[in-house]
Amino acid sequence: MVPQAAVVTSGLTKHFGQRAAVEKVDIELPSGVVSGFVGPNGAGKTTTIQMLLGLVRPTSGSARVLGHPISDPSAYLPRVGALIESPAFYPTLSGARNLSVLTRLGRLDRQRIDTVLDLVGLTERRNDLVRTYSLGMKQRLGVAAALLPDPELVILDEPTNGLDPAGIREIRSLLRDLADRGITVFVSSHLLSEIEAICDHLVMISRGEIVFQGGVTALLEAQRDALLATPEHPHDVPALAELCAGLGKPAHPEGDSVRVQAGEEWAAELNRQAMAAGITLKGLQAARASLEEAFFAITGDEAPPDPRDPRDPRDPRDPRDPRDPPDPPDPPDRPDPRDPPDPPMAER
Amino acid sequence: MLGAFLSEWVKLRRRSMLLWGLGGTLFFTVLATLFTFERAVKTLTPGFHGHRFHVTIAELSRPNGLVHGIVDVSNLVGIVALALFAGATASEYSQGTLRNLLVRQPGRIKLLSGKFLAIALFVLIAIILAFVVAIAVAFAVGPGKGVHTSAWTSSSGLNDTFQAILHIYLAAIGYGVLGTALAVILRSPAVAITVGIAYALPGEQIILALWDNGNRWLPGQLLSAVAHGGTSVTSYSRALLIATLYAVVVAAGTLVMFQRRDV
Repeated sequence: MVPQAAVVTSGLTKHFGQRAAVEKVDIELPSGVVSGFVGPNGAGKTTTIQMLLGLVRPTSGSARVLGHPISDPSAYLPRVGALIESPAFYPTLSGARNLSVLTRLGRLDRQRIDTVLDLVGLTERRNDLVRTYSLGMKQRLGVAAALLPDPELVILDEPTNGLDPAGIREIRSLLRDLADRGITVFVSSHLLSEIEAICDHLVMISRGEIVFQGGVTALLEAQRDALLATPEHPHDVPALAELCAGLGKPAHPEGDSVRVQAGEEWAAELNRQAMAAGITLKGLQAARASLEEAFFAITGDEAPPDPRDPRDPRDPRDPRDPRDPPDPPDPPDRPDPRDPPDPPMAER
Repeated sequence: MLGAFLSEWVKLRRRSMLLWGLGGTLFFTVLATLFTFERAVKTLTPGFHGHRFHVTIAELSRPNGLVHGIVDVSNLVGIVALALFAGATASEYSQGTLRNLLVRQPGRIKLLSGKFLAIALFVLIAIILAFVVAIAVAFAVGPGKGVHTSAWTSSSGLNDTFQAILHIYLAAIGYGVLGTALAVILRSPAVAITVGIAYALPGEQIILALWDNGNRWLPGQLLSAVAHGGTSVTSYSRALLIATLYAVVVAAGTLVMFQRRDV
């Protein structure tokens, strides 16, 4: 028997005045897997999530969550945990008492507070006021709050914001663990590399419209692979790019290398042709498209220039810059160095 | 609704709420009681322009003399209540915690009603504590000023005291409805409290200067009449009836807005 989809939307639309935040969104999230919801900031991810949680009324369209229409959130929200945008708590209450506010409100088992605090590694700080928490700790408390009802569906909006790399890895591990226990996880992020690592299923949104949904593997395999050729001498880069283009393989410089739009099977031919042209390659490797590249390939957009990347020749303020290949994804937000260090999450 | 009520009490037990809610009410009532006995005079000089701010020892020796001071500052108690309701509700918007609450309690009317009832109970406790402290202060300083306290403990005195508690509490709840409405409309604690206080204090006085009959119809004037158990302009029952009608209309509008608005 095919399991019922956890979330199904049909033509879900939200307009704020004249501006369309979400336009005719059709989503179907399979149960029991981690589904990623990706798109740049302002693409409509949070608005969509808010509609699914009954916080924002759709302008038109419909949706069902865990089999119930979103017009009746009382029917399904007791089985849903959510973290929406940045974690919001009462700064003058401790972490445990913040969760106590939610357990009393939802008439939940109060023992869940200990369980979820342990799960996110905040047991030792449970009685400290939230205003003394670092951003990463608040984020973990937000995840703990989402897990309080022992949910069937967890919706997390940018859960790794503010976490250091170790924290991000732990959140990923936690989300995988939830999915392994049969819990459906719907996680949004504008950092596509995060999603790539943890998701089975993907929903891509751009300017309020869904541009792709389906399996992550299928998406990446559908993208055209590339070869990354690195000549021994960097001054050979333009000549190598021209050579490839002349052989019918689009290519463009990428730092000290040339990215060639060709499959892995063309690598030997490229090596031979380069050698014949007097260019010695010191590196030649297959470069599979990343999720970010796939996203920009689908939307037809280009990745925003990264001003921190010295190899990126484009000026972020200059619209006349040539279309370069996408930049590597931004690193995750770094925690404020003034914040106290985060305690490690519990080993599971 | 019980969940929302219990949940709100976790927040009401915060030190800041105790300091500003209970502390504010106690401060005004103790100050008012001390001031009342301090300004007590044997007789009022005829034609003395400051007579409104004085009270005679004979008046204070009556059954209702015990709570004279706290009734005098009932408007300030109302302002504290307005700030409490407005602050507790609007901060859920400004802190972003309202979304968390609505995920756990999607019944918005239940959420707001439970929250309101919890704060209303908190205000009741604050007012009762304020009366207890004010009464203790009155018994401590009254005899020293020549005030006879025997009438205070008579059945008439006790009745007057309980009536005063009820009247001040009902007025405070009226201010609470106004504070909650402003919080839902304005969604910022600072703005909601400022607008509420600005209306209740100078705002109505300005309107009164322009509208002779305003003290019979303006909400703040009616709540003041309720708190005082009626005035020479408006009887208690009339003030209570019209203030209740206002409160029902404002509460209904607030619930509709809270129910329908995106969060």
